[in-house]
Amino acid sequence: MTTRARSWSWGAALAAALLLSIAVATTIGPAPLSVPDVVGSVLAHLGIGHNPLDALHDGIVWELRLPRVLTAAAVGAGLSLVGGVMQALTRNQLADPYLLGLSSGASLGAVSVLLLGVTLLLPIAAFGGAILALLATLGLASSLGRITPTRTVLAGVAVSSLAAAITSFVIFWAATGDSYRDVLNWLLGSLAGARWPQVAIAVGAMVVIGVPLSFSGRVLDAFAFGDTTAASLGFSVTRVRWGLLGASALLTGALVSVSGSIGFVGLVLPHAVRLVVGPSNRSLLPLSALVGGTFLIWADTLARTVFDPRELPVGIVTALIGAPVFALLLARRRSEA
Amino acid sequence: MPRSPRTRPAALAAMFAATVLLAGCSSAAAAPPATSGSAAADKPVVIQNCDTTVTFPHAPHRVVSIKSTSTEILLALGLGDRIVGTAFQDGPVPDRWKPQAARLHSISDFMPSEEALLALEPDMVYSGWESAFSADQAGTRSELAGLGVGTYVQPAACRTTGAPAKLAFSDIFSELRQVGSIFRVEKAADALVAQQKAELATVKKSTKGLTALWYSSGTDTPYVGAGTGAAELVMETVGLKNVAGGVAQTWSSLGWESIVADDPDVIILIDATWNTAASKIASLESNPATANLTAVKDHRFITLPFPASEAGVRTVDAAVSVSKQLKALGLG
Repeated sequence: MTTRARSWSWGAALAAALLLSIAVATTIGPAPLSVPDVVGSVLAHLGIGHNPLDALHDGIVWELRLPRVLTAAAVGAGLSLVGGVMQALTRNQLADPYLLGLSSGASLGAVSVLLLGVTLLLPIAAFGGAILALLATLGLASSLGRITPTRTVLAGVAVSSLAAAITSFVIFWAATGDSYRDVLNWLLGSLAGARWPQVAIAVGAMVVIGVPLSFSGRVLDAFAFGDTTAASLGFSVTRVRWGLLGASALLTGALVSVSGSIGFVGLVLPHAVRLVVGPSNRSLLPLSALVGGTFLIWADTLARTVFDPRELPVGIVTALIGAPVFALLLARRRSEA
Repeated sequence: MPRSPRTRPAALAAMFAATVLLAGCSSAAAAPPATSGSAAADKPVVIQNCDTTVTFPHAPHRVVSIKSTSTEILLALGLGDRIVGTAFQDGPVPDRWKPQAARLHSISDFMPSEEALLALEPDMVYSGWESAFSADQAGTRSELAGLGVGTYVQPAACRTTGAPAKLAFSDIFSELRQVGSIFRVEKAADALVAQQKAELATVKKSTKGLTALWYSSGTDTPYVGAGTGAAELVMETVGLKNVAGGVAQTWSSLGWESIVADDPDVIILIDATWNTAASKIASLESNPATANLTAVKDHRFITLPFPASEAGVRTVDAAVSVSKQLKALGLG
């Protein structure tokens, strides 16, 4: 099989796995609902047949589980995709979607709402925080001269540290009683608050920004050999870099605003996919997105069911499951080499 | 950030009951016990508290109380004049202690530093959190002991050892008696316990087999009263079955799905300034997944102030209050 054909068959298999995961994960949960009832309830909302469930149990399927699974799919896909883009764009193996201070900025926005009583909807505040942090990072980087990967990363470090310090200060200063629990959930990343509005934000951002972004692999492959090569291949280096950074940031900002900063997915999944399919961004980006969506669906399913009726922030599960899986992949690759 | 071993709902109820009882009974118990003349006053009081042995060579006169529950127990024992500073108060005290509480000085709304604490020259720190006694908070217990400051953690909040596996009123009463012995006001403590017991005896158990959710805070992942703390104790006392009773914790984060599946008959809402009962009702009613809950549709809400929701002298009050509110809902 050619590389191209192999990528396509991987893509088809992973897309099928993602769709299957959405379907299966929706039938799993702490409430004892039978598979036919869950399927019937979803179909009824799509206008097919009669709803077998009463309003209360239908709510479990249609208002809690399905929005959560769909949000997990979009957030996981988006984070994994942006992680791959950022790693290529900055030529930095440790790059992740939060590199430019986005998650720290979003956290600051969220904490302002949760603790300081800023009257904004939480997703809007988090998104605003993420975008402000991005502007600060890019402003700082461009004040140093032409925007290069190193300058961008260093500026991101500075902005992240400052935003994180202010966040900690606000928590320390203003958390009364047990209100810090909400904050902790948010900082660790959680999909427990995912309802239809969150689905609209996450899936919408994924469709509008994520899908085009996942086809940016050809440009990024040119970048892999350095700015000069990219320029000689006919790309306007500065414009492309700004465009991709901006698109990645908008997408990340939208995702973080609904889920908090879920770690691990954006940093490690692109590496895991690269270990299997090779370094070409053209197939890496869409495949990373498919794997990311599937991965987060199952991580969140574990988060909401394993300790039933208790619940874990999914950010804990992603790393707890993901890190050993990634270590296995690394070890396997070493033994093959 | 301090963790919050929440020990309060019981405290509120107990305090409420205590006040009522105090008011109703003799004023002797409520009077600030003057330096007691009993023989016990001369002997050091040695107690085992969590994992620490503490010696109180004489009755403390300068106390710093951390968390509302510890402050309220001191007020209930008529020891308000011994408090030189409070920290981390969760809400206002009930009316019956307002006169005593008016003169209290708050060091900090949060955890005070060790230095700020020592500046008040306390001879005792009484905390509702064991975690308060660490080097980066108010100071370790051994360090404070070396400086002549006795420390006491509410037993229900012990994290190491010494906490009851499942809170019972006898645990709260023995804390009241233990504090009474530290301050050499055993008689006031006995009277307070007697009042609490009398008040508790007035609570009638609902026999309707109702289930309840004790909803403290959180929106995405609610934080609820689980199976071993003050919440469970109050619910069992009034005859409610806790939907989170199977979780062997005092408090726990719970997923909405399991709550919706259990569809509790009643929801007990904790009212705090940072997370009001009204805000919780609004979010329950506006969220399509919870709007169909029986308790939400029929508006079967019971509210308790946060300081009463943790184990202490207001736990009996909480039971009395929940029982009354159940009756008012026609579910008594």
